[in-house]
Amino acid sequence: MASTDHRTDELTGLRADELEAVLDPAEADGVFRDSRECAALALSSGTTTLLLSPPTPRPKKS
Amino acid sequence: MEQSGTSPLLPGTVQDLAAGVVSALRGGDHAPPVVRTVADDGADRLLLAAVRVTGADLLLPNVLLRTAPHETELALFRRALEAFPPRADSAPAIRWSHWAMIRTLRRLEPPGPGRRGDTPPEPDASRLDAAPWQVLTRQLAVLAALAVPGEECAVTRAARRRPVDVSRGFVRAVRRRDWQQAAGAGRWLMLLDGVPTTLGLEAGLDFVELMGGTDPRVALQVQAARSIRAGVFV
Repeated sequence: MASTDHRTDELTGLRADELEAVLDPAEADGVFRDSRECAALALSSGTTTLLLSPPTPRPKKS
Repeated sequence: MEQSGTSPLLPGTVQDLAAGVVSALRGGDHAPPVVRTVADDGADRLLLAAVRVTGADLLLPNVLLRTAPHETELALFRRALEAFPPRADSAPAIRWSHWAMIRTLRRLEPPGPGRRGDTPPEPDASRLDAAPWQVLTRQLAVLAALAVPGEECAVTRAARRRPVDVSRGFVRAVRRRDWQQAAGAGRWLMLLDGVPTTLGLEAGLDFVELMGGTDPRVALQVQAARSIRAGVFV
């Protein structure tokens, strides 16, 4: 463990790598919006349409 | 934010700080209450970690509104910066977030013997130019604290070269319901020229706030984007 790891642990109970995981998190799995949210966006988007295009199909589970 | 193994108190503390920044950006108190309360009694260690996570955005109201930060807030910011330096093998995003804090500190700290010097050289950002648009957007969202009017760096220049890619990333983030990423990307887009008008950025940000705005970290990015659009810093 590097010296900065020890120091971080003493300070917060967090290891440096844990803190860095919070600072630069991995991208979460995508969750596609449902029709209720599409309707909410339609109401709020005025004349634009790009965000209202049909959702990308969910990947098929093999 | 909810990383396994991290202190369970950290997310809430970060959210408290973010809520204070949102309040300040909306015209409220310029020092997040939690900073003033705790820092006056001696900053605790969890708070230092939360300040490091919040990063340069903790002082965003002072940068945009051109106000002097509270003395205890500035001291806490400096301590967090010194307590959590990047490691030798830290990812570029970690180095950039640390660099952004130093840049902000140099900008806001008063001149005098306590001033520590100039902003250090920029970390490497060469990977951003070759990154796929999805990766670019994710990285920019993580580094949204760098999206500040009038501030130049390699990340800003990389974003400026790819407004359409960032726009695509914004749409992707909205459709994946990744409100944090969408809000961060939207903040960047407010700074960029060449954003397609068909994007509907402002309506998109409204939608992001509607769906994700209960998280103060999302609200912070949305409010920052609106402040940039409104030009409150002029």
